[in-house]
Amino acid sequence: MQIVEHREGATTIAALEGRLDTATAAATEEKLIALLDQGGVVADMTGVRYVSSAGLRVLLKTAKQARTRNVGFSVCGLQPAVREVFEISGFDKIIPSHGSRAEALAAG
Amino acid sequence: MDATVLRHEMPPEVDALPALLDRLEAFAETAELSPRAAQHLALVAEELAANVAMHAGGASLLRVEARREGDSLHLLIEDDGPEFDPLSAAAPDLEAGVEERDIGGLGVHFVRRLTREAHYERREGLNRLTALLDVG
Repeated sequence: MQIVEHREGATTIAALEGRLDTATAAATEEKLIALLDQGGVVADMTGVRYVSSAGLRVLLKTAKQARTRNVGFSVCGLQPAVREVFEISGFDKIIPSHGSRAEALAAG
Repeated sequence: MDATVLRHEMPPEVDALPALLDRLEAFAETAELSPRAAQHLALVAEELAANVAMHAGGASLLRVEARREGDSLHLLIEDDGPEFDPLSAAAPDLEAGVEERDIGGLGVHFVRRLTREAHYERREGLNRLTALLDVG
């Protein structure tokens, strides 16, 4: 899993690339939660072709942490297969998802 | 070797899961699965294998077999750990909000949702999970 950060005002865009699964969950979680120290985070998932339940746990933990710290957390650019995983698990209802970075930033 | 059969043996360890996913992706290509079916297969197989890797203390072997027959995809996951039926896990509460949402049970939820059928049996000292998936 590669994570490239990019600041956009008060928000950090974290572009994820690779699989978000059992093997990459721990490192990704550590990184995303550390980024919350600087404010809101948008995880750009355009480069993620696979998300397993372990990957969903990472996003849920990050969302919970963001709420505790009162900063925003959302995802954008979900690939069709990843979006299906979100829908099957009900995550589409608990983590804000946007089509693009611009839409995610506009939503705050 | 028949291109539409995958046999993969691995140590029951998390570190061995990426290689399993690589094999499954290659199999999906040679077996001409749709991208959606390939994702479903990878997800079901990885969730079950991860379950063994993380929870089956005492297992020394994990075997994954996938076979395409016409419009069906047969998946077999075997391990020699203590007797355990992963399908016995409780279903997650999909309606809970972000605060209440528990993080357990999702893997098995995927297995139930993405397979046409799934069966567990204990045979000759092995946990055997068989599942049937669609290729379309």
